[in-house]
Amino acid sequence: MENRRKWLGAVGLGVSASLVLGACAPPGGDGSDSGNSVTWIVNQPGNGWNHNTPEGGSVYGIQFLHDVLPYTGYWGPDSEWYWNEDLIVNEPELLSEDPMSWELEIHPDAAWSDGEPIDADDFIWAWKMNSGDEDLCADNCNSRGTTLPSKFESVEGSDDGKTVTITMKEGELFPEWFVFGEDGLYPSHLVADQFDLDTPEGMLESSNWFNENQPTVSGSRYVMEEGAELDGRVIKTLNEEYWGDKPEIGEIILQVNTEEGSWVPALQNGEVQGASPATWSDDVINQLDGIEGVEYGVNPGASWEHMDVNMKHDWLSDEALRHAIFTALDVENIATRTYGDNFPDITPRTNHVFSESSPFHEDVITELGHGSGDIDAAVEILEDAGYELDGDSLTRDGEAVPPIRIGYTAGHVAREIIAELAQADLAEIGISLEIDTTNDLGGTLAEGDFDIMLYGWSTTPDFASSPEQYWHSESGSNFGHLDVEEVDEVAVKAQNTSSPEEAAEHANEAARLVAEEAYVLPLVDTPTFYFVDTNYVDNVEDNNAQSRRALWNQHEWTAVD
Amino acid sequence: MLVYTARRIAVAIPTLVAASVLVFLMVDVIGDPLADLRSMQPAPDPATIAAAEERLYLDRSIPERYWLWLTGLGGNGDIGILQGQFGPSVRGGNYVIGAELWAGLHVSVRLVSAAVLLALGLAIISGVISAMRQYSKLDYTLTFVGFLALAMPTFWLGALIREGGLWINRTTDSTFFYTIGANSARVDDMTGWQYFLDSSGHLILPTLTLMLTSYASWSRYQRTSMLEVLNSDYVRLARSKGVRYRTVVRRHALRTALIPLVSVTTVAVAGIIDGVVIIETVFQWRGLGYFFIEALTHKDSFAIMAWLMLSGFFVIICTLIADLLYGVLDPRIRYE
Repeated sequence: MENRRKWLGAVGLGVSASLVLGACAPPGGDGSDSGNSVTWIVNQPGNGWNHNTPEGGSVYGIQFLHDVLPYTGYWGPDSEWYWNEDLIVNEPELLSEDPMSWELEIHPDAAWSDGEPIDADDFIWAWKMNSGDEDLCADNCNSRGTTLPSKFESVEGSDDGKTVTITMKEGELFPEWFVFGEDGLYPSHLVADQFDLDTPEGMLESSNWFNENQPTVSGSRYVMEEGAELDGRVIKTLNEEYWGDKPEIGEIILQVNTEEGSWVPALQNGEVQGASPATWSDDVINQLDGIEGVEYGVNPGASWEHMDVNMKHDWLSDEALRHAIFTALDVENIATRTYGDNFPDITPRTNHVFSESSPFHEDVITELGHGSGDIDAAVEILEDAGYELDGDSLTRDGEAVPPIRIGYTAGHVAREIIAELAQADLAEIGISLEIDTTNDLGGTLAEGDFDIMLYGWSTTPDFASSPEQYWHSESGSNFGHLDVEEVDEVAVKAQNTSSPEEAAEHANEAARLVAEEAYVLPLVDTPTFYFVDTNYVDNVEDNNAQSRRALWNQHEWTAVD
Repeated sequence: MLVYTARRIAVAIPTLVAASVLVFLMVDVIGDPLADLRSMQPAPDPATIAAAEERLYLDRSIPERYWLWLTGLGGNGDIGILQGQFGPSVRGGNYVIGAELWAGLHVSVRLVSAAVLLALGLAIISGVISAMRQYSKLDYTLTFVGFLALAMPTFWLGALIREGGLWINRTTDSTFFYTIGANSARVDDMTGWQYFLDSSGHLILPTLTLMLTSYASWSRYQRTSMLEVLNSDYVRLARSKGVRYRTVVRRHALRTALIPLVSVTTVAVAGIIDGVVIIETVFQWRGLGYFFIEALTHKDSFAIMAWLMLSGFFVIICTLIADLLYGVLDPRIRYE
């Protein structure tokens, strides 16, 4: 008996000692002992290492790769374009408009961490990869976006590859020509040894290779450590070979964490130091309130909510009915009820292409009375069009307007609130809305299986291709089947100019026409939030103009002693 | 017993195949795996979408896809469960379903095995004590704790335990417990002892949660079984012959009373693999639960199939083991 007690005592002592010693792990950096280490939450896994592909080009993939791949420039929090002066010297300007052409001068010291220079070959690889030209890249190299590079006639190097000249095809113009290379360039020399990049098949193989292998060399401030996991953890440390100024934060650990309920506990426990998640959460924001040393901010995000009408619907094909519906909706109330609790400054969105903070923004909604919640005006529109409102029932030529389905992604809290508020508003004009949620938003939209749909678009400050994508009669993303020749024309014009100002004029014109058709009603900019433990790191700033969000200026973050 | 085992396995195979057909059809109706790709901004080239459809075999009919998934005949070498290929993932070539499933299993087994061992030990002890002191304050207390753990939703229990861990850390101004992941970053730089401490700090909270959810029901089984045995004739005979109560309990009653628990536990282990989904989500472990949730999120049909087949395989195997253990533990049972 005595022996057993001694044995149990020893086990108890061992367990206690383990826990006490275990408690000696330093706070911050997820237990790492590296100096100036910051662990940052990424709220979804990435699926590939090549950001030019759909798998790798998610917000999360781009966040993993940020500041490992050299980038030509970026959109600042003020939605202005800035060149990355560490990589591109002498601000590029257009050389000619016919054909459109410009030159990029690469920093003479710019080199990959393995010693190879960053040069024109890396730009040429990026062009072929996204050219959408089967003669340059088989299966389009599985590119996720070919809009700009598909307009290039050539990308050529000179001065030992340190000057890149890009020339567009005859007659082609594009106002946002400067964004080529903004997500980062790949080290083409790594694939040039393995594949024949002059053949479409070789290019496809190289694209796949970059997608399957994490970058081992860096052309920017940080280098990615081996063993990075797209669905787990990516560790970035200083690139000792970087030719520019070194960041103060020596190690950035990007930790995938899909469970928002665990973010604040992990922050309080020193396991993470911050996040700028892609999703909105009132719960998380409420938990952050009052935690000492934790700074958080809420801002209008890059996504915006809107209500789309299916123009092929028997009743909704009537423009008057659509106008009445949009007029009866009280969007101010919708904005307040959805995001107002934690973002009291929220206002209705009044342009499809530009948010209010954009210098190109024009209000195309208010003058039409859409979103005003003016029931009298809505009833007048209906009566002028031959409808009769008798109590709760709306009829036209003796036929009652049937219930109309309103769809949204099942479980989306904000859209559920919007749908319920819309039900109440439209009941006032005799229209019954039936909520019809979907688990497959993309599929439902693609099949056109909806009457009215609530969903969101993501935007960046480059806007020129948006009108065509949203509303051109031949666009696969024009889910409600708007077919207006004038809209098609201005949407195409928005892309075919070298001037951003002129493109914005066309985009605003397209938005105005779409509003006049009562096809899409913009509702609100979905707010985003970020939080950071300023006990460990400072100078963090969110940036909704970029997919990188608060990570955009990680090189400017400062460590707190 | 060998013949019985072979017969049971022979029955299990068509059961698994039938389940796979049903599950395949159900997975197929959950939505378009390429919905996200189709609604990307800017819209990808139609050729990109067509290539993805071809890669995922979405250009084939459902029966064709099922046959491919089962046999791999006519595929690109990346599909055919009979050839050990689970099929392509909607998340691209980087995501190899078989490797990810194996990695997830490795993580989950670590969590489940620790929790099962602890839950089993605790259930036996508290079940036996409850039975020996039936209707005492201790019995009522253990019963209350058991029912409380049983009634509490797992995600809520996990969140409470996590808060408890945080409170201890705050109170002691130390980091005893970690709330996310199975390990810290940079484990490669750690000594064996540091690694052990780090793993323990990450393991304790989720293990405690999983343990409590299993312990609750198992302790009730053990208490009932123990009471039944304590009231049996052979125990009363032993007591009347003057054998000490503790000796009777330890040498005669407990061994018999363990038989139902062993079989219940064996079957329950298969269920724990499914139940670990919530706990792995709460504590952000990259195990089978995380694998399943991510597969659902991405409508990754072949990954969902892989998880469901593994889960089905576990249920069948564990049920078979439970049946066989009956015979091993109770000599009166013989299989023909």
